Amino acid sequence: MKNLHKIIISLGLVIGLGACADLEEKPIGVFAPETFFQTPKDVETAVLGAYGVIASENLFGRQFICALQFRGDMITIGNRATSAERIQMNDFNMDSDNGMIRRFWPQWFQAINAANSAEAGGISLDLPDNEINYLIAEARFVRAFSYFHLVRVFGDLPYINFPVTDPTSLKTISKTSEAEIYQGIIADLEFAKQWLPNKQKNDVRTRPSAGTAASYLASVYLTLGDYQKAYTEAKFVIDNKDLFGYALEANFENNFNANIADNLKETIFAFDFLGQISGSNGQNDDSLVPMLAVLNLTGGYGVSVPTQAVYDTWDARDYRKKVSFVDTLVVNGVKRPYKDFSTPRPHVGKWVKLPGNANAIGRYSDHNIADFRYAEVLMIAAEASAEINGPNAEAAGYLNQIRARARNWAGTQVDFPADVMPSMSKPEFIDLIIEDRRLEFAFEWKRWYDIKRRNLGEKVFLGPNSLEPQPTFDPSRDYLMPIPDSELRINPNLAPNNPGY
Amino acid sequence: MQKLLTSQKHGFLWVFMFMLLLSSGSLLAQNKLITGKVTSDSGETMPGVSILVKGSTLGTTTDIDGNYSISAGEGDVLVFSFIGMQTKEIAINSSNMYDVTLETDISQLDEVLVVGYGTTKKSDLTGSVSSVKAAELTAFPVANATQALQGRAAGVSVQSNNGDPGGSLKVRIRGGNSINASSDPLYVVDGFIGGTLPAPEDIQSIEVLKDASATAIYGSRGANGVIMVTTKRGKIGKAKVDFNTSYSSQEVINRIDMLNANQFLDYTREVIPNYVDNGADTDWQDQIFRAGGIQNYQVSVSGGSDVVNYYVSGSFFDQKGIILNSGFERYAITSNLNFKASDKISVGVNLLARRTGRDGVVTQEGSGGAGGAGVVGSALRFMPDLPVRNEDGTFTLASIGDPIDNPFAVATERQQETIGDLFQSNFYLNYDIVKNLSFKTTLGFRTDNNRTGTFVPTTLYAGANVGGDATIGASKNTDLISENYFTYNLDLNTKHKFNFVAGYSFQKSNDTDWSSGAQSFITNSVSFWNLQGGAVQKIPSSGFSETQIQSVFGRINYSFNDKYLFTVNARYDGSSNFSKNNKYAFFPSGAFAWNMKDEGFMKDVNFVSDFKWRVSYGLTGNQAIGPYQTLARFSNSYTIIDGVAVNAVRPTTVANDDLTWETTRQFDFGADMSFLNNRLNLTADYYRSVTSDLLFSVPLPTYTGYSSQLQNLGKVENKGIEFTLNTVNTTGALKWNTSFNISINRNKVLELPDGNDILYGSGPGHLIGLGQTQILRVGEPVGSFFGWVYDGVYQQGDDFLPGGGFEQVAGGEKFRDIDGEKDANGALTGNPNGALNADDRTVIGNGQAKFIWGLNNDFSFKGFDLNIFFQGSQGNQILSYSLLEIETLSGSNNSTTRALDRWTPTNTDTDVPKRTLQRSQRVSSHWVFDGSYVRLKNISLGYSLPSSILEKLSISKARFYVSAQNILTFTEYKGFDPEVNYNSGGGAASNRNLGLDYASYPNAKSYTIGLNVSF
Repeated sequence: MKNLHKIIISLGLVIGLGACADLEEKPIGVFAPETFFQTPKDVETAVLGAYGVIASENLFGRQFICALQFRGDMITIGNRATSAERIQMNDFNMDSDNGMIRRFWPQWFQAINAANSAEAGGISLDLPDNEINYLIAEARFVRAFSYFHLVRVFGDLPYINFPVTDPTSLKTISKTSEAEIYQGIIADLEFAKQWLPNKQKNDVRTRPSAGTAASYLASVYLTLGDYQKAYTEAKFVIDNKDLFGYALEANFENNFNANIADNLKETIFAFDFLGQISGSNGQNDDSLVPMLAVLNLTGGYGVSVPTQAVYDTWDARDYRKKVSFVDTLVVNGVKRPYKDFSTPRPHVGKWVKLPGNANAIGRYSDHNIADFRYAEVLMIAAEASAEINGPNAEAAGYLNQIRARARNWAGTQVDFPADVMPSMSKPEFIDLIIEDRRLEFAFEWKRWYDIKRRNLGEKVFLGPNSLEPQPTFDPSRDYLMPIPDSELRINPNLAPNNPGY
Repeated sequence: MQKLLTSQKHGFLWVFMFMLLLSSGSLLAQNKLITGKVTSDSGETMPGVSILVKGSTLGTTTDIDGNYSISAGEGDVLVFSFIGMQTKEIAINSSNMYDVTLETDISQLDEVLVVGYGTTKKSDLTGSVSSVKAAELTAFPVANATQALQGRAAGVSVQSNNGDPGGSLKVRIRGGNSINASSDPLYVVDGFIGGTLPAPEDIQSIEVLKDASATAIYGSRGANGVIMVTTKRGKIGKAKVDFNTSYSSQEVINRIDMLNANQFLDYTREVIPNYVDNGADTDWQDQIFRAGGIQNYQVSVSGGSDVVNYYVSGSFFDQKGIILNSGFERYAITSNLNFKASDKISVGVNLLARRTGRDGVVTQEGSGGAGGAGVVGSALRFMPDLPVRNEDGTFTLASIGDPIDNPFAVATERQQETIGDLFQSNFYLNYDIVKNLSFKTTLGFRTDNNRTGTFVPTTLYAGANVGGDATIGASKNTDLISENYFTYNLDLNTKHKFNFVAGYSFQKSNDTDWSSGAQSFITNSVSFWNLQGGAVQKIPSSGFSETQIQSVFGRINYSFNDKYLFTVNARYDGSSNFSKNNKYAFFPSGAFAWNMKDEGFMKDVNFVSDFKWRVSYGLTGNQAIGPYQTLARFSNSYTIIDGVAVNAVRPTTVANDDLTWETTRQFDFGADMSFLNNRLNLTADYYRSVTSDLLFSVPLPTYTGYSSQLQNLGKVENKGIEFTLNTVNTTGALKWNTSFNISINRNKVLELPDGNDILYGSGPGHLIGLGQTQILRVGEPVGSFFGWVYDGVYQQGDDFLPGGGFEQVAGGEKFRDIDGEKDANGALTGNPNGALNADDRTVIGNGQAKFIWGLNNDFSFKGFDLNIFFQGSQGNQILSYSLLEIETLSGSNNSTTRALDRWTPTNTDTDVPKRTLQRSQRVSSHWVFDGSYVRLKNISLGYSLPSSILEKLSISKARFYVSAQNILTFTEYKGFDPEVNYNSGGGAASNRNLGLDYASYPNAKSYTIGLNVSF
């Protein structure tokens, strides 16, 4: 009897312990998508997540913008001991397994997935338009922004505008045509223009406003060669510049000064990097400055360096040349001309000179890395107007606003560059605008898109006046980058890859 | 029930009274006091030998000096027994004194093996189990007992993941049964599932459970085999003190011949003509390697009586690494106490308290870019014409290429310290409810606390950029386990024997961690102890996860006439980690063994002493899934708006509600054979295991926003044969025993998601552009190397194959065009297309060994003992990223002396390409090496003092020895050491990345002197 008692106690112990195990998981620090969206605040949290994805090493921190720099004729490889994938990106001889592409391609789609999730979350709340559409519009803007870059780089590609819950079902989709993707981009930007506020809270430029959406619409139409619509959108932004808070910065250099990056009237859209901090997965990690900085004297990587011709052909009277280059360095009190640089050429000065709170080589800087400045709206207006009406005073006026600003040599008025007069042929005038764009946006990631848009590749890489001769440039291949090989392996329906790869 | 118990009780009473009668009977027969001394055949006195008057319950044991006294009458028979010795019977005649010598029992059949939830005699075993004894575990000093298993047990492969002191090990039982989940075996320490091993000196034996019959009782954690660890117990007798100590002197096992400064200057100026000579001639390997050493001390006190036994041990292990500033130390206390509280109840507790400390240096860096090079990586890359310090006293930085610190600076300036405190206790209560029915309950608790601090001072490049970088992090992992089971033995007619085990188990594990860091300090002197002094605060982090498992399990053993043995095992596991649709899993197994020797027809086959066939089949599992992995997730996204971080999330994981465990089905067929009076023992096994429902991070097209999704897809197979041969070659004064084991395993991927190849990269991050260097392909072993076929060097006048990124010059690397032609649909035809590209990559090797083996010879003669232990691996290949980096002759680093044979217009008969700066670093067959090796793992010569001297010193044993470890290695591999494991820690990487070498901490060779004393 006594034994039985003990057995029962033992069994009780067993069963008692068993009862506490329900095996349900209650994770901490992660959020379930099904239950996440309860209020507009949650939608906003999801939208903001996308910016962190873009403000990352793989996109605007380094890989994507550096790739665009290499593609253009303003920056080439300085230290040729750098990795082959960069050299191949620059020299137009990459294959479909290029490492830079393998990094930035997936990252763009993470941003797109974040935007799609936020959009769907916003719609799921089923609120009146005026309470939620400004957030849905923001999500759609991010999607449009991402696809606008992607479509210019890759041409036809998969277009996904819904949150992915069953990724396996997307394994066999085909590419969407460029034209269709542009339709999606335009629809998103139109919606964004309609519903986004004229100014974001605190007038930040790292979230889009209606003005941002209109500016990108102008750029989209310009890229498509629809100059009338490009003009209309650019004009809309210029006419409403006060409403949106846009103006040219008095000092050109302000645009590349991290210390005042949050307060620039000229910035239309930028990504905010916070100094000396790195998030996980490469978020908030920017290496633009060390990529550009001199290898031996500053500890930079000296990878992305202009050719000598870019420097030599630029009129020394142009204040923008001074801002754009580092041609001497003072190291330990000793002045070192660029002949002493490990790559003995002038290096890029934009961003590098004023990285704000950053580490010693300028990584983890405080820059807000801008993708769009008000100057570009003026340039688009000028180019579109000239394309529609030929050289005209209005178009010249837009250019001259930018030239006038360039004559402000850090507070001292100089007389270079002089205003332009519309008294020239249309092709000459258009060339002049493209050339002004080249200098104004030197080393920003505009030049490659201009070369592609204007079909200038043979001229600028193979022509007699090439700043950066690239004998392997092949116009039938190199206006598009290859979709990563790994994607085609998983989804053969994406084949064939872009021509030549 | 009540009635049954009552009648049983009466039965006991009767037996008891009967015994009383018997003993009183013998008392009546004029007893006298018998005394004597028991010694072993090797002349050692034997304490703790059990002596029983045959046919009675009267008994005693020998004392510490081997002496005994017992009361017995003439005509009685005394039975002397001791584990590992042949039992001896002595008939009492008129003499009152009997000195007895016990012979070593070379038959292993009575050996008791520890299996899941019980023990079994080797002769009753139906499964495949290897056993490794204390002497082998302590043959030479090791930081971790698992290390001592290398080469000791068939089917068990042990490799260091890195050669650093206190570094982790990769243990595989019968190959890797998974691809993405861990293939580490389950450790069970005195019944504690997932317990931590005590110091090697405190371990009595390790049993390795290999087939499904043996492991299925551990269900969803049994698929990778189980390592059962039994710690030492006190034996009946006076307190016994054992003291073991050794000292080892260590040096690096091998060095790599690098270019000296002059050679380097020639080599560099060929492509950088204006390279300025920095004037020094530094051998960087000299700068970082030093003579290391191991001190090892252990003292234990053990003893016991009928009621209580105890074993208390303290140990100290201190290793000074062969690279500056690296080391490991371990203090441990192990205690085992067992009490017999009553006739029916016994209780006990096992305790382990341990402090470990580790000073690490950076090796096997994941990326050796700017400021990221580790000690060994930098020692190979760094320019030999640079001195350690500049004239101003600062450390030199690389003069070309990525700005990396010199290896001396990396070794001496960077601080990385890990302190671990572990406490493990396991309490049990065993209750003999009625005869043959007992209940055991255990309650185990373990907590493992670790703190890691790192500091990168401003004297290093990475620290200088940020004004010093300090991080301190801690983790606390706790485990609670309760196991409860009944054991019931039933004999029917002495022919039918049953043994039943049934129980319930519950286990809960919590993992927590937190860390913080800061940068930009006023001084380097505060290390990581003044985070608040940093001008820049890094983002702190913390994490929590919990896992629960509850299970029921059972086993039935049935034997008929001891000839036909049947075992059925099963476990039903529920785990919180599993997805919501699949919370519970069932794992059954069955086995049959046939003691053929017991059959009539074998009776007269005298040269066969024993012959048993075994066959088993069963299912085991691998939990595979980590906590919360089945759930869809938004995770934090670090987003800055208006200069401050804001709350932001992004989708990071997509759900899979059907995700489940991996199941391994294993078939085993084996035989245990003994010949020539047990002087030759052979165990042979064939096995085939197939793991299905492999957890795969199935690659998704990244345009979905995800790179992969966890799915149960795919199969992998391991099949092989194992042999263990133990022979007693000579007996008598010169004793010579040999043991040999060999394991032949073949690993193969049987199924992959959609049948598609899976490519992945495993190289160091700074070798940008290496890309995907490995492949999972159906029909190939896991972790095959993937790259181009190297055809040597282009010569003048060759047809250069076109291809972006490939050289088209004389002296350039020449690769083979094997594929690339495409049909109308854009699919590859498998024909060459006259150009090189990514399609020309193929499988160029793998890191899986064809076979591994160990050969041990023990000799003893009088007081001398000699041990020679060889261990080896055959047919495994190595992909060396280290040699790729320094011998591609492209980058801006030093190279090996192989560069002296580089192609030049006048030196064309070579496979070393020319010096250039334009060559891509590319994985090809050029960097795949034969990693086979034969190693003299240990050679040891010992001398034990004879008992005549010992008695004068009143000690029972004293042995001195000298030994050497790893002093001979035969290999073709050109790196430091063929035992390599780069990028191979934890989960998926540990299966997929085999045979990779990059900047590893090399293994050491050692010379050891030691002393073992007992008194």
